[in-house]
Amino acid sequence: MNDASVEANGLVREFKGDVRAVDGVSLSVPAGQIYGFLGPNGAGKSTIIRILTTLLSPTAGSATVGGHDVVKEADAVRHKIGVALQDAAIDPFMTGRELLRLQGVLHGLSRNETRKRGERLLERVDLVDAADRRVGTYSGGMRRRLDLALALIHEPQVLFLDEPTTGLDPISRHTLWNEVRRLNRETGTTVFLTTQYLEEADELANRVAIIAQGRIVADGTPTDLKAEIGQPTLSITVSRDQLDDARTTMARFGAPAPNGDSGLSIQLPDGAAGVAGVVRALDEAGVTATGLDLSEPSLDDVFMAKTGKRMEADEVTAS
Amino acid sequence: MNLALRQTGALGRRALIRTMRVPQAWVPSLFFPLMLMAIFSGSFAQAPGMIPGFPEVAGFLDFIIAGTILQAVLIAGTSGGAAFAADIEGGFFDRLVSSPASRLALIGGRITANIVIGVAFAAFFITVAMIFGARISGGVPGLLLTFVFTVFLAAAAGGLGVTLALRSGSAEAAQGAFPLFFALMFFSSAFFPRETMDGWFKTVADLNPVSYVVEGMRVPIAGTGDASDALLGLVIVIGLAAISIVATLRSLDRRLKGDL
Repeated sequence: MNDASVEANGLVREFKGDVRAVDGVSLSVPAGQIYGFLGPNGAGKSTIIRILTTLLSPTAGSATVGGHDVVKEADAVRHKIGVALQDAAIDPFMTGRELLRLQGVLHGLSRNETRKRGERLLERVDLVDAADRRVGTYSGGMRRRLDLALALIHEPQVLFLDEPTTGLDPISRHTLWNEVRRLNRETGTTVFLTTQYLEEADELANRVAIIAQGRIVADGTPTDLKAEIGQPTLSITVSRDQLDDARTTMARFGAPAPNGDSGLSIQLPDGAAGVAGVVRALDEAGVTATGLDLSEPSLDDVFMAKTGKRMEADEVTAS
Repeated sequence: MNLALRQTGALGRRALIRTMRVPQAWVPSLFFPLMLMAIFSGSFAQAPGMIPGFPEVAGFLDFIIAGTILQAVLIAGTSGGAAFAADIEGGFFDRLVSSPASRLALIGGRITANIVIGVAFAAFFITVAMIFGARISGGVPGLLLTFVFTVFLAAAAGGLGVTLALRSGSAEAAQGAFPLFFALMFFSSAFFPRETMDGWFKTVADLNPVSYVVEGMRVPIAGTGDASDALLGLVIVIGLAAISIVATLRSLDRRLKGDL
């Protein structure tokens, strides 16, 4: 009964005109995880979240949320899930408190219970002072926080967030992340979120699926995904007269590539653990490194490796 | 069932609150019918006694109250449909659908709100008309019967508005039903008796079910016709409401299945 997992098997969704928005997606999210669904606009993220939240039926394949089939047991699924969809669909003419009260009734809570939980949630998302103002006067960050509170009024086991921080400034974004983390930690709520922000997937999710053109192209923990496509790069800076010595020493660990006019980079085959060895060897050779930098491959590198394209363009314009 | 009723009530309340907070959503439904009521009852003040065949009424104002209520309820139906479509466009409807709320409450709330608005409008027009000298010939029972008519009329118009919203998913398209409502209203006996019509216009008015509803409604208000006219009107308006609500339920079903 307390199953809070999300499973999908070969999900396909076609729209009119033979558009395959989702093209055979299978995934498995154990209870209590924060699962990030990363992909650019139009990759099929929203379509999948709409299927999992019973708003859209799949053309083929099946999915269960909390152990219930999203098509055959849609109502049981709706009792278990909290949903905050893109566009923060909240009526601008209503106040935050009115919307919370309505949401409570929709989930079958008693008036008393709704009030108690509503006040607690308002406090939690820091909207007590704004609760009786119309939502139309809220900032983007306030709306998302209210949206989160609305999704939580019935204490769902699985929380779906569709691009929860799109269009938010960095501070509001971090506030929301902290709230989601805290919720996950304190209540064990499974969180399924879609995002087009690499940083969001990296920081927030325990596990990330990268989606492009309706298919999952990679799936794993952010660390594993990055490790899978390459080793971290170590870059050093030395004074120019020591450059040759440095190159000879570093060649024992990998193929040094020039980096600027007094720098060298190598890929560390043993990962970050190999840094000490290189530094010791340089020291023994009498080379003084004036700068040292270790860079991990980013999720963008993973995306690039899997799809041949960069996600960055969106990232820059949105943040 | 009790919960479904509570949900319908809560969604109806929300639809009402929203309507009240957006004056553009209800001022036209009051203003235009009020204006037409003033213009017609002023222009045709002498008509009842002078035009041969005009039903016997105390005054044109008494005669036109039913048509005025009809007009307001139809405009409110369009606005309600447009508001519902805006909920679909904005994503509020998705919030409702992804909750375990009763599917019936999803449309019941809006239609209930339309009924409340319709009855309030009817009360308003009757009050205004009475201030200007009209009398409700059926007394208090007549007034109650008028409200019964209004309830079903508002359910029919509200259902039609919501149906269009569910089918189109666009506020503009739902608003586009306005000319249809207008035609239904003007090509009927809402403002003039069928007795004074002739030719193709009379044929259309004879075929238009709205004519019988308005004429039925005029029985308790203006004392025209007899009990059989009232009964016929009532049966037709209940039928229209039933058809409209069945259409709404089917459209809801299709939208929830993702066919629309």
